[in-house]
Amino acid sequence: MSQVFHEIEKKIITSLKDNPKQTPEKLEKSTNLSPDQIRRGIEWLKLKELAIVNESQTIHISLGKNGLESFHKGLPERRLLDLLKNESKKLQDLQRELGSIFGPAMGLARKNNWVDTSEDKIFLKNYPPEIPGEKSLKQIGENKISKSEIDIDDLSNISKRPDFIVEDIIKTKEISLTENAKSIEIIAGSSGAINVESKVPDVFVARTHPLKDTIDEIREIFVTLGFTEIIGSMTQPSFWNFDALFTPQDHPARELQDTFYLDGLSAKKIGTLEQIRKISESHKKNWRYYWDINEAKKMVLRTHTTCVTIKHLAENKSDESRVFSLGRVFRNEKVSYKHLVEFNQIEGVVVGKNATLRDLMGIQREFYRRIGITKIKFWPTFFPYTEPSLQTMVYNDRLEKWVELFGMGIFRPEVTKPLGITKPVLAWGGGIERIAMLKYGLDDVREFYNNNLSWLRSATKCQ
Amino acid sequence: MPVVELSYSRLQKLVGKVSKKQISDSLPFLGLDIESEDKDLVRVEYSPNRPDYSTDLGIALGLQGLFGIKTGAIKLNIKKSNDYVIHVESTVTKIRPFVTGIIAKNGRIDDNTIKQLMAMQEDLHFGIGRKRKKSSIGIHDLDKISFPLTYTTTKRDHKFVPLNSDNELTISEILDNTDVGRDYGAILGNYTQVPLILDSKKQTVSFPPIINAAVTTVTTNTKNLFVEVTGIAKDDVENMLSVVATILQTAGFTLVSTKISGAKNTSPKLEPRKILINSNLINQMLGLHLTNSQIISSLKKSRLDATLKGKNIICSIPSYRFDIFGPMDLVEEVTLGYGIQNLEPILSPSQTLGQINPISIKLKSLSLIMIGLGYTEVLNSSLTSKRVLYEMTNRESMNMISVLDSKSQEHTILRDSILPGLLENLSRNIHTSYPQKLFETGTIFSQGNPVDETTSFAGISAHQDATFTEIKSILQSMLKTGFDLEIETKTFSHPTFEEGRTASILFHGKIIGIIGEINSKTIENYKIRVPVVGFEISLSGLIFD
Repeated sequence: MSQVFHEIEKKIITSLKDNPKQTPEKLEKSTNLSPDQIRRGIEWLKLKELAIVNESQTIHISLGKNGLESFHKGLPERRLLDLLKNESKKLQDLQRELGSIFGPAMGLARKNNWVDTSEDKIFLKNYPPEIPGEKSLKQIGENKISKSEIDIDDLSNISKRPDFIVEDIIKTKEISLTENAKSIEIIAGSSGAINVESKVPDVFVARTHPLKDTIDEIREIFVTLGFTEIIGSMTQPSFWNFDALFTPQDHPARELQDTFYLDGLSAKKIGTLEQIRKISESHKKNWRYYWDINEAKKMVLRTHTTCVTIKHLAENKSDESRVFSLGRVFRNEKVSYKHLVEFNQIEGVVVGKNATLRDLMGIQREFYRRIGITKIKFWPTFFPYTEPSLQTMVYNDRLEKWVELFGMGIFRPEVTKPLGITKPVLAWGGGIERIAMLKYGLDDVREFYNNNLSWLRSATKCQ
Repeated sequence: MPVVELSYSRLQKLVGKVSKKQISDSLPFLGLDIESEDKDLVRVEYSPNRPDYSTDLGIALGLQGLFGIKTGAIKLNIKKSNDYVIHVESTVTKIRPFVTGIIAKNGRIDDNTIKQLMAMQEDLHFGIGRKRKKSSIGIHDLDKISFPLTYTTTKRDHKFVPLNSDNELTISEILDNTDVGRDYGAILGNYTQVPLILDSKKQTVSFPPIINAAVTTVTTNTKNLFVEVTGIAKDDVENMLSVVATILQTAGFTLVSTKISGAKNTSPKLEPRKILINSNLINQMLGLHLTNSQIISSLKKSRLDATLKGKNIICSIPSYRFDIFGPMDLVEEVTLGYGIQNLEPILSPSQTLGQINPISIKLKSLSLIMIGLGYTEVLNSSLTSKRVLYEMTNRESMNMISVLDSKSQEHTILRDSILPGLLENLSRNIHTSYPQKLFETGTIFSQGNPVDETTSFAGISAHQDATFTEIKSILQSMLKTGFDLEIETKTFSHPTFEEGRTASILFHGKIIGIIGEINSKTIENYKIRVPVVGFEISLSGLIFD
């Protein structure tokens, strides 16, 4: 068996070979090492399974103040008997001579029938050669000795007396070598080697937030697919969040119970006069209701990032373009394991004269392939601003079921025409937390925003 | 999204020869998401634009199309009749101007049908009826009513026995003391008059949009139905009627027309519309090469009618499909009829080059530098609470931006600072090992035009030996290494920070942030037991616009 040992370990092993069972204190003497060195050495050897530490506890007893007095002067009852050995004495004289111990001494002497009283005098009846307890008292003396060495019956005669006996619990460790260690040959001399096989403490790495990692990964995938990132405001006039996306002003999604409206805040300018005119006309013609510009001016926290892309398209009117937007969106929901009021969304569009629904599906499939999801299918769905509208279903192996991810579709002409966009626009979007949950195997979406350091410090960076 | 409960065995009876599995596999391809299944029962979510899917009868029509059992449009066969007249008085104009109706005869109504009809009525009220405001339906036992009817108004002391009641109640009592009255009474505003449908014997039939009279209650003994729809727009009431009429015909009833006359109202037509569509548009949008006959057959599978006229296809759309606006909606109908599963995704090479936004690049660099300095990134909500933002940090709550009617107390105010969130994070991690060093970048909000959004960056360090020097060194090195920026600090006061250990951060003489030791009051508020130092600076105007 070839193993590298630290000098401390070598000394401990060598000493234990000579003297197989030692306490740490004995080892200090035999090896000439400091208590701390011995402690560390023993820990190392324990980890390598070369040393065994047996811990035991023993009770030691010694004499207290009254015990010591009795050891030197004799037990109170012995002292009483000694005083009466030669002559009977008056009670008052005995009290004076013995002081406070007279009472207990007299009690015991009478109980054991050693003394008796006649008229006003006390006289000796019987002089015992050894009084119970005297044996233990002598044995302990001024030393500290293990309780196991004492006759417990005899000791019990004095152990209850105040300040006679003091008990100390002493923990002792005894170190010995394991069978493996006994065969180790210690070669003299220092190698400078350390134990490279031992366990070491954990350190915590500082890291980016796991959700941020997912966002970055998604951003990079779309950039490599030819998309340019655009950034827009989280607070938006209802106009861009809803009206421009053909969502009528009385649509349930626009109600306070689904959308966050900013208290008392309305936009002064919401778009160009032409944009406002054409969008209001499209609403009036198709939804047939009174379109109210004040409703369109109300500020909301965006419910999707589609407002950012549609505004970009309206401002740039490109015939050939690929852009995406990533960011926080808001829904007035009760927070639960599957719903947050604020979450991240990716939203992208392709503008092109030859853009088709199959291209849209192809981009989705490629995106999912790159984040490691291969089992996908498409189902129809409904959005007010796209036609046809689809959603991707992906198979979650852990939950063994199909879960809904991104929604997609082709922007309706009622959306594009009023804004002067003439080429087909493929659009898709969806929540990023859902993807991150798949990646990190989480079932509770709130985990991402709890900022629980033990989780942040332990979540695997590369998923 | 609304949910409808279906029974597989009932669907099998309605659809024709198909297995339970075929049905459950096909439901998603009608746009119906299966929410839960329990033996024979299945609950599906349907899109609010398809109110005909609020019953199993409507869903069965869609499934028949997909399976090819029955294709083409459902034609409403409405027998013309002069027997059922509704006269509209002009007093309703201000309150609820429009009424329409239809007669449905000789049907068989079992418990399941009643259940489905009631569920449909509720969904229609909630969805296209906009909680009965735009339009609402009343379904009555025809044989308890004597025509002609009058759609009129009455005062609030008018009395009748409403549905589910044994006693006569006044209009006011209904509005004040019944659930429906309290839920929907507001639609009628403060008018002294309310709408009412009376029959020829002056018997109350309905008090729209609140409640029917008890006398016309539909039971399993009912053979013939009268359906009325009232509302504030003519199209809306006829749209709603067309859904009900289609479903009742599908349920086996014979439809008979009503005659409506008086103030603005006319008899409903419920006729199909025609939309012209070209195969080029369809093929261009889908990336396919479908022939005209493939397109026509796909449209028919979606329960529409289509015929070829020259190079174009004329599509005939039944009145209950008012979700169809124009040709693009027909592209979707072709897609569904053709089958999404038959569309093969393609990946065409991109004509454009991608680019990360410069702001994202800079924020990423900043993150990497902070991580190099041993700081862990956290993410907090931008919508937070008065407690976290102001009460815990002793900051003044001036010019807050709040949201209306939040369902969560923890999310009511847009943050104007990131640092309070980081302190909150520390307070939730007091049992985790120290040092704890955190940072976050994100948007903060302030009142402006109307809202100004800027990007802010905050960092904190919490441990037994945390000092001002430590945190200033971090910020200084971060800005120098990351962006070659040099800052200065000047003595400053701030309610969150310790007096005498706080500084403003200046860049070219302009204050861009704050740095210092968090004061003991704040730390105690958060129940943190170690010293904390921190900073927050605005990145907008510093490393990007």
